Amino acid sequence: MYKKIILLVCFLAIGIPLAFAQPTCRLDSKIKPKRAVSLKAFQEIPVLSEGRIKPLDTYARALLLQFSGRSSFQRKPAMEWLGRVLFAPALTYDDKVFLINNPEAATALKIEPEPKHRYSFSQLEPGLEKLEELARLADKIEEKNRSVVEREVLRLYQNLMMYVRHTEALSFAFPSSEFQITDKEIIGQLNLPARQEVFSFYDIVSKAEILQRKIRRLHEIGREQWSGQDKDFLRLMTNLYQWSMSYRDLPFHVVPTSVRDQESWLSPQDAIDKEFFNEAVRREVGLLRDMMVYYWNGEQLPFDLAARSLKSSVVMRVGGKEGKAINKIPLELFYNKADFFLWAKLLYGLAFLVFLLSFFFPKVFARPLSLGVILAGLVFHCCAFVLRMMIMARPPVTNLFETFVFVSFISVVLGVIIELVNKRWLGNVVASVCGLVFLLIAEKFSAEGDTMQMLAAVLDSNFWLAIHVISITIGYAGCCVAGLIGHFYLLQGIRYPKEKALLESTYQNLIGTLGFGLMMTFFGTTVGGIWADQSWGRFWGWDPKENGALLIVLWCAIIFHAKVGRLIGPLGVAVGSVLGIVVVMWAWFGVNLLSVGLHSYGFTSGVATGLLVYVIMETIFLSVTVPWSQRRLAAFHQAKMKKD
Amino acid sequence: MNDFRKKLQRYPVIKFCASMNITLVCLVLLFILTLWGTIDQARNGLFLAQERFFNSFFFTFGGFIPFPGARLVLWILFINLVCAAVVRLVYRWAQSGIIVTHFGLLFFFVAAFVTFHGTQESNITLMEGEGANVSSAYHDWELAVWHSEGKERNVAAYDAREFQPGKKMDFPEYGLYVGVVDYHPNSEAYGEGQEGVTVLNASGIRSLKPVSLYKEPERNIPGGIFLVKGAGPQDVRVLLYGGEANPTEIRTGDSLYYIHLRRQKFPLPFVVRLKDFMMEFHPNTQIARSYKSLVEVMTPDGASREVLISMNQPLRHKNFTLYQSSYSVDEAGRESSTLAVVRNAGRLLPYWASFITFAGLTVHLLITAFKAKLKH
Repeated sequence: MYKKIILLVCFLAIGIPLAFAQPTCRLDSKIKPKRAVSLKAFQEIPVLSEGRIKPLDTYARALLLQFSGRSSFQRKPAMEWLGRVLFAPALTYDDKVFLINNPEAATALKIEPEPKHRYSFSQLEPGLEKLEELARLADKIEEKNRSVVEREVLRLYQNLMMYVRHTEALSFAFPSSEFQITDKEIIGQLNLPARQEVFSFYDIVSKAEILQRKIRRLHEIGREQWSGQDKDFLRLMTNLYQWSMSYRDLPFHVVPTSVRDQESWLSPQDAIDKEFFNEAVRREVGLLRDMMVYYWNGEQLPFDLAARSLKSSVVMRVGGKEGKAINKIPLELFYNKADFFLWAKLLYGLAFLVFLLSFFFPKVFARPLSLGVILAGLVFHCCAFVLRMMIMARPPVTNLFETFVFVSFISVVLGVIIELVNKRWLGNVVASVCGLVFLLIAEKFSAEGDTMQMLAAVLDSNFWLAIHVISITIGYAGCCVAGLIGHFYLLQGIRYPKEKALLESTYQNLIGTLGFGLMMTFFGTTVGGIWADQSWGRFWGWDPKENGALLIVLWCAIIFHAKVGRLIGPLGVAVGSVLGIVVVMWAWFGVNLLSVGLHSYGFTSGVATGLLVYVIMETIFLSVTVPWSQRRLAAFHQAKMKKD
Repeated sequence: MNDFRKKLQRYPVIKFCASMNITLVCLVLLFILTLWGTIDQARNGLFLAQERFFNSFFFTFGGFIPFPGARLVLWILFINLVCAAVVRLVYRWAQSGIIVTHFGLLFFFVAAFVTFHGTQESNITLMEGEGANVSSAYHDWELAVWHSEGKERNVAAYDAREFQPGKKMDFPEYGLYVGVVDYHPNSEAYGEGQEGVTVLNASGIRSLKPVSLYKEPERNIPGGIFLVKGAGPQDVRVLLYGGEANPTEIRTGDSLYYIHLRRQKFPLPFVVRLKDFMMEFHPNTQIARSYKSLVEVMTPDGASREVLISMNQPLRHKNFTLYQSSYSVDEAGRESSTLAVVRNAGRLLPYWASFITFAGLTVHLLITAFKAKLKH
């Protein structure tokens, strides 16, 4: 044991400069720090997470989203919350950030239910042992066989552990009783500030060279000859070793490794343990420690300077790909701050509101106004896409979140085209409803964390990804828009059975968008076959995702052939297109529930209920509107025939 | 041409075969089969579901109720499409999109037929430094026999799919007859057997126990007992198990024969040698960024070249294409790479079919939009 400690100290001592006095922050849960007011400089620091270098701001948002399903806490940015987690963890113990979706999970942990389903660490801590036991049991069950409660328990446990590990990320700089020195002489010998008694791991490890000298001679004398001071030195070393063992592999990877040609980054604690001999690494860890001090003392300017120095130091050390990624940090911060998707959502919602108001206040300018608002939303939507593509340097659709955002975008474009041609509100309503609904669904998927994820090896082909995924997603959008127009046709059949021109126009738009959906889905499916041939050596393999796309093509083909064969009329086509949305949903994410096949990179969970609810709602809608619409239209035709 | 079409239209059989109702019924059946087959994959796995729903002419459900398989439906749809192309499609410029689309679909059927019957899928697993000029099937097995003499190995083999008790196989070049006594498509091997029953086996296996088939056919390991005649005065009972690495030796006088139950082997017209396998992860994660195999391809004419095979970048040589499929690292840390080997004569046919059909759909959509605009 002692040999290990001595070895560790020797290792750490290489290149460590002589002690330098630094103010040390005091950590006490009862004492509140003055706190640096702004974390603007801090949020620009690059961090490596999930294989991607991103600004700390994105990291904070993703973490808070993962825990609470929201990207802000008490109307304050996630960055502020993360700042407290890192620099003053005790202040976040009562923050209600842990979302428990399933009340059964809360009951199992014997926690009083909260109205907003969010709980604090203090509330969950007493049940941590029970939670760990339940999570261990849930973990043994195969993922697809886990119940909703089991999934929730596991998610909550992982989130709690993640939180705890983040609270420890900068613990190396916290004064700890393990490094308490009561002997003033030892404090003097180690060149530590005389007015302190409690020191941090960082304070002691910085004196490793002195400690090493003190320890070396202990080898040569018997244990019975060790003085009280010798024992204190040995205790400090033992605690250094145990601390390193306890706090290794922590998250918050902000220190790039000094090993050439390696892209891995280290947490501050791991950086001390593994690469403290490197001058740049030591400087960066020191800056983090300084930031903690300035944060506690409320010294804004030095805090910002330390943050900027840290970023500069990292930028100077890394190169190539990492350097490029860091250069995109300002762009990503702008993307985060601008929140273009939110603006697009608001504008689409507003455009729909204008449509609703036009029933009560019919004005000539209402329709162009609604179209203008939609176009403004589309500009924001487009900006968000362009920014994402610039940040990630890849096509716009690579994960489930992006498919929803892209389908929303294409639906709006189709709606705008319909409105420009048709000028009867139909396009405006389609654009605003599809734009809003799909962005809201996308928001739900974004709650899983960072939406800019790294690609699995098989997807790492920009050309095929751009063509196959984009075209099939455009196909989804075409079919969904056709389905929505189908809804309107059925409703118009009830409300305006006499307006033949209106019904005919809606029907023509329905046929056009359905044909477009068929064409793009077919193209996407076959290009997917070509991609599969390039990647796996076969054009078609009856894989669930391939079958899903084929189902859309077949469904559209059935509708068109039934129409041409006069087996169904406009009403039948409308019903078919409404049901087509269900087929699209199945192909889009329903097949993912099966968790089989080669497209396993797109699998997700928790959508079964949503899909089922949607199918039930559509069934109710059709069973009410179809007979009603049929009756109204038939009655009108009969009346017309009598009149003629 | 029109007269010829009119003549054909008079035939009730052709008129019936070209019927739109048949098209619709086939499309609906195909829709049902695709949906059913997809859902069934979660329960029975990809391979079994494919065999049952998509590669069959008929299958039964509920124990005895017959249902047409995709293969039958696609044949009917093909005939329907051919007949429709002859007697039903209207050959006018305004219908050019529809015509091209349907001819593209016909081309798809041809492409599907050629690739279905002309594709051979196998794989090679190589350790770093290893080379091979044969690939192995994923789940098809064979009984192979060869002679010890000579530098070149002349192997005779029988497809194991047809094995059942009583089946006889003739190996005239070696003067051997092999009969199947017992055969299990999936089995477990044991070192203990029935007292007094002797079987010849290279690995000390004495008995086999049949096991139910796995969803993933590549996990099934067959085994059986075979009676070898002609290898001496007495017949020899041989126990063969698919999990054995070495063949069983049969000695008769000075001659030595080898008999082996193994995955089907396919010769390659070149030697492929794995020089290096490279695997990259996204930093600080277990998300694979790339898998790459640096291989050397040596052809019989002595030519040699180095190729880097990675995801989406296969090695193509004549009709053969080698793809990066998977990898493994053994306990000693040695890396091996598995390359999927596909021999496909009609590889580009679906590409052309896709292009023609899409072009047809686009033309049709444009014509329809143009007509609507004129009407408007």
